[in-house]
Amino acid sequence: MNAPVPVAIEDLRAALEAVVGQSHVSRRSLPPRKVPSQARNQITGDDAVRLRRGEPPAIGAAAWLVQPGSATEVAEIVALAGRAGAAVIPVGSGARAAGRDAPAGGRPRLYVDSRRMSHVLHLDETSLVVHVQAGLTALALERILVPRGLTLGDFPPSTLGSTIGGLLAVRTPGKSSARHGTVEDAVLGLSAVLADGRTIHTRVAPRRASGPDLARALLGSEGRLGFITAAVLRIHRRPEARFLAAFALPSLEDALAAVRLALREEAAPAALRVFEGADARAHLGESVCDEEQAVLLVATAGATDLAACDRDLVASAATAMGGAVLDDAVAEKWWRRRTGQERDPQAPPPALQVTAPAGREATVARAVAAAAERLGARARVHVSRFEADGAVEFFTFVEPDGEVAAGERSAAIRAAAEQAAEQAGAILLGSSPPGLEPYERQLERLLDPHGVFDPELTREPA
Amino acid sequence: MSDVFSAAAVARQLDDCTYCPKLCRFACPVAEASGHEPYTTQAKMDRLNQLRRGTVAWSAETTEPLYACTGCRQCTTQCLHGNEPGLVLLAGRAAATARGAGHPALMGYPERFRNREQRLADLAREHVAPERFEDSAPVGFWPGCDAIDKGLDDVDAALDLFDRLGAGDVRMVSTGQTCGGYPLLAAGLLDMFRWHASRVATALRPYGTVVVNCSACVYTLRVQYRAEGVPLSSEILSLAEFLARLEFTATDQPRRSVYYHDPCYLARYSGVIDQPREVLSRVVDVVELSGSRTDTECCGGAGLLPKTMPEVADSMARRRLREVAGRGGGTVVTSCATCAFMLRRNAPSGVTVLDLPAAVGAALGDTGAAGRRSGPG
Amino acid sequence: MQRVALDPDRLRRELLPIVGERRLSMRASDLASYGRDMWPRLLIGIAAGRLPADLPHVVVWPETEREVAAVVRAARALGAPIVPYGGGSGVCGGTVPVLGGVTIDLKRMAEIRSVDRDSLLCDVEAGANGERFERELNRRGTTLGHFPSSIYCSTVGGWLACRAAGQMSTKYGKIEDRVAGLTAVTGRGDIIHTDGPARALRGPDWTQLLVGSEGTLAVITSARLRVSPIPELRILRGFEIESVAHGVEAIRRVMHRGLRPAVVRLYDEVDTFINHVPLFGRGRGGGAAGDDKGEERDPLERAPEPAAGGGALPEIPPKGDRGGASEGLFGRALSLLSPGAEPARRLAGRLRSGAINAVLSRPRLVNGLAGPLAEKVSRRGCRLIIGVEGARIRTEVEARLVMGELERAGATDLGEEPGRHWLEHRYDVSYKMSPVFRSGLFVDTMEVAATWERLMDLYRAVRQAISEHAVVMAHFSHAYPEGCSIYFTFFAPVVGAEKTYDAIWQAGMAAASRVGGTISHHHGVGLLKGPAMLGEHREAMAILRALKASFDPDGIMNPGKLGLPAALARRA
Repeated sequence: MNAPVPVAIEDLRAALEAVVGQSHVSRRSLPPRKVPSQARNQITGDDAVRLRRGEPPAIGAAAWLVQPGSATEVAEIVALAGRAGAAVIPVGSGARAAGRDAPAGGRPRLYVDSRRMSHVLHLDETSLVVHVQAGLTALALERILVPRGLTLGDFPPSTLGSTIGGLLAVRTPGKSSARHGTVEDAVLGLSAVLADGRTIHTRVAPRRASGPDLARALLGSEGRLGFITAAVLRIHRRPEARFLAAFALPSLEDALAAVRLALREEAAPAALRVFEGADARAHLGESVCDEEQAVLLVATAGATDLAACDRDLVASAATAMGGAVLDDAVAEKWWRRRTGQERDPQAPPPALQVTAPAGREATVARAVAAAAERLGARARVHVSRFEADGAVEFFTFVEPDGEVAAGERSAAIRAAAEQAAEQAGAILLGSSPPGLEPYERQLERLLDPHGVFDPELTREPA
Repeated sequence: MSDVFSAAAVARQLDDCTYCPKLCRFACPVAEASGHEPYTTQAKMDRLNQLRRGTVAWSAETTEPLYACTGCRQCTTQCLHGNEPGLVLLAGRAAATARGAGHPALMGYPERFRNREQRLADLAREHVAPERFEDSAPVGFWPGCDAIDKGLDDVDAALDLFDRLGAGDVRMVSTGQTCGGYPLLAAGLLDMFRWHASRVATALRPYGTVVVNCSACVYTLRVQYRAEGVPLSSEILSLAEFLARLEFTATDQPRRSVYYHDPCYLARYSGVIDQPREVLSRVVDVVELSGSRTDTECCGGAGLLPKTMPEVADSMARRRLREVAGRGGGTVVTSCATCAFMLRRNAPSGVTVLDLPAAVGAALGDTGAAGRRSGPG
Repeated sequence: MQRVALDPDRLRRELLPIVGERRLSMRASDLASYGRDMWPRLLIGIAAGRLPADLPHVVVWPETEREVAAVVRAARALGAPIVPYGGGSGVCGGTVPVLGGVTIDLKRMAEIRSVDRDSLLCDVEAGANGERFERELNRRGTTLGHFPSSIYCSTVGGWLACRAAGQMSTKYGKIEDRVAGLTAVTGRGDIIHTDGPARALRGPDWTQLLVGSEGTLAVITSARLRVSPIPELRILRGFEIESVAHGVEAIRRVMHRGLRPAVVRLYDEVDTFINHVPLFGRGRGGGAAGDDKGEERDPLERAPEPAAGGGALPEIPPKGDRGGASEGLFGRALSLLSPGAEPARRLAGRLRSGAINAVLSRPRLVNGLAGPLAEKVSRRGCRLIIGVEGARIRTEVEARLVMGELERAGATDLGEEPGRHWLEHRYDVSYKMSPVFRSGLFVDTMEVAATWERLMDLYRAVRQAISEHAVVMAHFSHAYPEGCSIYFTFFAPVVGAEKTYDAIWQAGMAAASRVGGTISHHHGVGLLKGPAMLGEHREAMAILRALKASFDPDGIMNPGKLGLPAALARRA
């Protein structure tokens, strides 16, 4: 086999144009992809800041924006990058694009934007499975599925603006539904381009025992091991019935206990949220409860009798923990916002998201609150995504004057809160499993010896 | 019940084990305590099959797995084929011994057994008052060799209990033998067993009923003697069955709770399950262990395992008592001198082990006023 | 295969300080037990008088993960392969030490460390026996909900290494759905923990990369598993439905309504005929193996009594005596599969074994007849066993919906009895192994899976491939919203079987891959399906190879499995 011919940087643009067509290669800044309003609520931290300012990620010297139309083109681009010593950076909805300027004299960068790869390749209604290109946004997919009585699942609005590829490459526990987990959980198979330009397809099956689940190497790897080009996802029928309910409980601990009780009875709600008092009042109105109390909201869905049963199980649990039923309007308001029909007027998204292990949800919340208090601020919290392993908690930090903390102040409180949360046993978003870095580094080295997917060249080249 | 003793039946059992995925392995206490694959029931039977077929040569090394068994019969409780590995492996040991391929720890066992019998007979005479011995009596007491060797206090407790419950006419069997002969079978010494059995049979003839406190002896004397053409004229009763026949009632003292450990040889060989509980329940509250009755778990004391694999045997006893320790300790009562010895020796702190007579005696209290017999004495 | 050359003295010197004299053995007598698992190809060899030839150089019984790590590091230094061994119940040759080396028997690491009833998480060592583990969980009011037919003879580590499934996986998930974290020793000799809620950590899901790696990346030493409360209510029923296609459709509809029965088992016509239809008026079939008694087992309170004068101990049979060999082949086979087939068996027993063999060596003929014969004789379709269990209130509602859905799909309710019978006898099938082999047949199973869209194609294609060579029957189980698994059971004469065997597997795996199914749903790959791995994963094998090189740079971890090379990696 002939060794691939290296490509000089001067010829790189021409080579790219030969692959995707002239109109899909540019030196322009990345056009901001319209992030649906309902998604804005849930984007946290720096991304949120950038988005609000309307700034697209910047593109620096020796960088191009490339928009392939197919997985084959992606493969060719990656192969090209390898031969040119360039780096490939996947760009999905843009919310998390690596926007840093390339260092002077650094390697050329190819920002590969998947927006043109946004087709549904195959909708298998017999199996309730859909095969989609990675550039399709969750919202666009829902728009195709809903008229057919189908859905990806009850995912929160923050999910909708992201591309499927983005949802799979970046792990965000908050973008999940109680019943359907994250979009990662829906993956039955993946297609991806490896650093050498090869395309792989993991075997599609409901479950397998043919070795490790190879797709899991790519999911959550932030594009370092491969460029996800398509995914086979499990979808669902739109439910026969939906029920909503809201309860005020004497305290956060009682609300969390009510959730655990209901889940023990095997209630399987479509969505579940616990607001601590102050957060409930901020989101749902001051009349909903007192500050020391908490609000539990539940949406159940599915076969009518079963959905009703789930609702009743949660209601019994709430009552058992001293809860009082709230007016229907409360739950309905929550649900309208949850499904993106209405914007939450509480504009600033939560500043901090952590996962608390099972049984430690209240401890973690209190620890964060204490840390915020030490800096003269107040922490509001709501909890969602309850699993055997734990729950995801969202914190908003508020100054004494009632304004949400911002800028450096927010960063300082957040840092203190993270430390307190960790000490209380929580896991911070985006942390790596200890002890496995060498294995991940080695995996990267083996699959991507020339650092095609590693623009910073954070590790030694092979 | 299918006949497990014919050669054809055993051939089929050995074959059944060959291809089995070792379904009974979780029930074999030796396999579980040791974690050794060669000690799973299937591997042991498979080894015997290979030996008798000639694909593996008989040697001390190759026959070792045959000794990794206490004959507890828990494998049989699981086996849908109805296989009896415990008994079949004993037959394997006999074949090994006959070929000079027995276990090294059992070298010179015939001599050792004879010496032990002598020592224990003397010990019994020294310890128990002479008037307790009688050459013939309606009811004779046969504590068993382990009781005399390691549990003389329990022998005393049994004799005391007989007195208190109006069975004071029970006499110690007067003979130079203390052992029913089971260890000889466990050592693969079939001929010596036959010889010993006939001597014991002679010694027991004058007793109408013989009360036995060794769980293996009950099966050996009742069943195996007859099978070897040495039928006993006496009625053989386990101590629990004998006590169950006596009439005594509970005292006014506050009732304790005790756990009861079923000896394998009583529960799975002789069906003596209810009687010990019935006896105990008159004076204490009995709490069941998980793994009780026909699911009881072996103490490790049988099959000469304490001689051939002492660590495994002790490990089995420890594992048996783990549950009691986990529940905060307590008293475990059993109805066999061997079980009592093994469990006591390996009891974690907080766990007390009592043999049946001592437990009943203690529950009846020291006053002696309680528990008087209400029946004929 | 050729063993690697290892100096036994050096091997002993390096390992002895780690585990001590008692927990190390190089005796041939001990090593003999570690040369095989329950791979039928090996059993075929045994039936032909060939004992397993691939044995380890040494077996060790570590008691802590540090010891395991030390053993792996020592093995790396020596260039010795490492083969983990749990219950040895795998059916793919996964524990065969093809190059020799160090077998690590995990069974002295069998502690159930903790069970937390509030968080419903438990921590258990990999060598724990499945049945013992489940019983201990039950004592604490919990269950793993994992009931493989090998539960009596498999270990937690084995389940994890192979991505095992239990019979109630439709509700409780496969083992990979229940694991919250692992502790393992990698091929580099590091102890790693993949615990904590996987969702929150960035990067690859290491738990899901180690589960199913069959010892080629790491030795799993313990796991955190999700347990469930013991179900308050369990409902089991049998149904009859017109055909396999109707049955599959009924199950699909149940799953798509969002219902999650625990047990779903649809038997095809042949399986229904053999196992579930009373032949000549007696018996329900599917019962214990080779059990001539026909009555309930006696309670085990008394040991059998030998005849007076017949000897206290059983008689060891002479050398050449084979148990039950005198009975007719086909008769035995039939009686195994259906104890109620007594008259048929007696009739078949009279036919000459040559004639029987002639019939069985024309499996296409038998298979071709069996289907229509089954339908004609029974005039019923397929048996469907369904079970729903869980918390009381919700289970009642769900059960009503499930049964209603099945009836709407055309299934006829047969009541509780078939369900109860299945529950009581669900592990009995493994007892049939010995009688089958003794009859001169071998039996094996092939379990594949696919999405609903491809499922009937998968059934037909794999069935066709197998039926060229063996009598085959199948059932569908382990249903999911998006598809289902199919479990084929096939048998053929054992004489000259190795060629037949290989041909069946080659054809079956190729058929599965061709129609878009997976080559294994829960038995794993081992040695058996190694050749089919490339067809299964194609270019994605690059990821497996990269994982292998990352976790096991010296290539010592269970060489030759998962389609990876049966050779140590060349050292730099």
